[in-house]
Amino acid sequence: MKKLMNGADSFVDEMLEGLCAANPELKREGPGGRVVRMMAPQGRKVGIVSGGGSGHLPLFTGYVGRGLLDACAVGDVFAGPSVAACTAAMRAANTGNGVVRLYGNYGGDRMSFDLAGETLAAEGIRATTVLGIDDVASANASEQEKRRGVAGIVFAYKMAGARAAEGADLEEVTRVAAKAVAQTRTIGCALSPCQIPGAALPTFSIGEDEIEMGMGIHGEPGIWRDKLRSADEIADEMVDRLLGDDGFKSTGRLSVMINSLGATPLEELFIVYRRVQHQLQTRGYRIERALVGHWATSMEMAGVSMSLCHLDDELNALLGAPCDCPFWKN
Amino acid sequence: MGLNADMVRSAIGKAANTARLIEGELNEADSRLGDGDTGLSLRRLLERLETTVRPDGNDLGEIFQVLAAQSAEATGSSLGTLITIAMLTLARDTRGLSELPWAELGDRLARVRDAMMSRGKAALGDKTIIDIIDSVAREVAGLQSADAIKRAARFAAHLTLDNYRRRPCRVGRARMFADKSIGMDDPGMLALVRLIDGLDEEVKAG
Repeated sequence: MKKLMNGADSFVDEMLEGLCAANPELKREGPGGRVVRMMAPQGRKVGIVSGGGSGHLPLFTGYVGRGLLDACAVGDVFAGPSVAACTAAMRAANTGNGVVRLYGNYGGDRMSFDLAGETLAAEGIRATTVLGIDDVASANASEQEKRRGVAGIVFAYKMAGARAAEGADLEEVTRVAAKAVAQTRTIGCALSPCQIPGAALPTFSIGEDEIEMGMGIHGEPGIWRDKLRSADEIADEMVDRLLGDDGFKSTGRLSVMINSLGATPLEELFIVYRRVQHQLQTRGYRIERALVGHWATSMEMAGVSMSLCHLDDELNALLGAPCDCPFWKN
Repeated sequence: MGLNADMVRSAIGKAANTARLIEGELNEADSRLGDGDTGLSLRRLLERLETTVRPDGNDLGEIFQVLAAQSAEATGSSLGTLITIAMLTLARDTRGLSELPWAELGDRLARVRDAMMSRGKAALGDKTIIDIIDSVAREVAGLQSADAIKRAARFAAHLTLDNYRRRPCRVGRARMFADKSIGMDDPGMLALVRLIDGLDEEVKAG
């Protein structure tokens, strides 16, 4: 696959250099510059820190900003952040009121953040953990704790970030983050693969006329693979699978995220959204907010993910609260 | 006789050299079960350790602590973080020692295995690097010479890799398509086998 880069070893660091150069409100620090934080401190508040592999922008790093994340630990492409980066990101996010670690449920990320948390506990920094587990294709509803975190974690960033900005304490911000995760479900559908810089092959292979329903953001296998279907048929199945899942409290009010996995253009996203809106309204749902665009990608993978966040008055207000980061301004 | 600081430094150099030689082989193995970048990640990590391990000092605990700190800074991959955990465990267990008697090496490796299982939330039989560590720890337990340990470690590592090839992966991404993983080597297990081979002789590029 063709890529605009200078070398696999420098790919992530040069990307971060450019991201911060283009967005001067961000700065890099920590070991190897693998922590991104806001240039200006936000005052004394609960810190929210995330982290994950590169290759998913705007996730994870792109959501550092006012009313969202305070710091992010950045790993190599599709690899978790280092223990040292997680430690530095938590220190950067801490202003004395404690830190919420809010990241996707992946083994490497968990190990790094756990080890970092133990180091900082000895320094007296209080921290809680909330894991993104929104991907319904990665495990059954009865095993939600095994699910991966994908695009839906952005809702938790937004809502927890808004509550932290109000001055809430650590327990309250943690509660909101956990509630947002519990109310959000995501499913993805891939049309073509991506390739990690320096890797031998694309992350998976798929026929020109095939799609895979349920594929993860690193190319993890999905639920089925078959011939390409119409956008409406794909949208219908995704809506059915998300609404048919268990464990959330349905209120009849939703925020819908239609997300490009990288290469799929906005035109196709809006074709999908049009159908999703129709299907949801037909079933009596009210869409409070539509988020259509690139929210969590997988390099140059083509495909779409759909996230539904079931809102109540509290979550809806937090979703609409002010925020300002390179990829989301309210 | 036992393991000393010079041997650890030499082993890190050999491991980095092996990692350069097998980068392509590991990437290819990983592309069948994962992202396709295990070789790249391992080579980067071991080159970092190679360049930062101090040329002086005799305290094994201090050397492993430096390696742990460098590893913690350099990598966040699952395999890399398990290596960090191994170094941290060895640092704690060898603090103040200038030599670890060979007969005690198996016991130390067993403690590394236990720490990896606890942190990595993996069990024996899941088809991971931990299964290789387990078999090597048991095979070298009580042996009193470096040559005997190297032979036993190679035997145990290869036997385990061969045995597990026909089993399904039970953790990580590959658990999602466990049946497809039958007949394939776990890239982390393959990496450790090659690194153990490389302690004895130069590994050919795969």
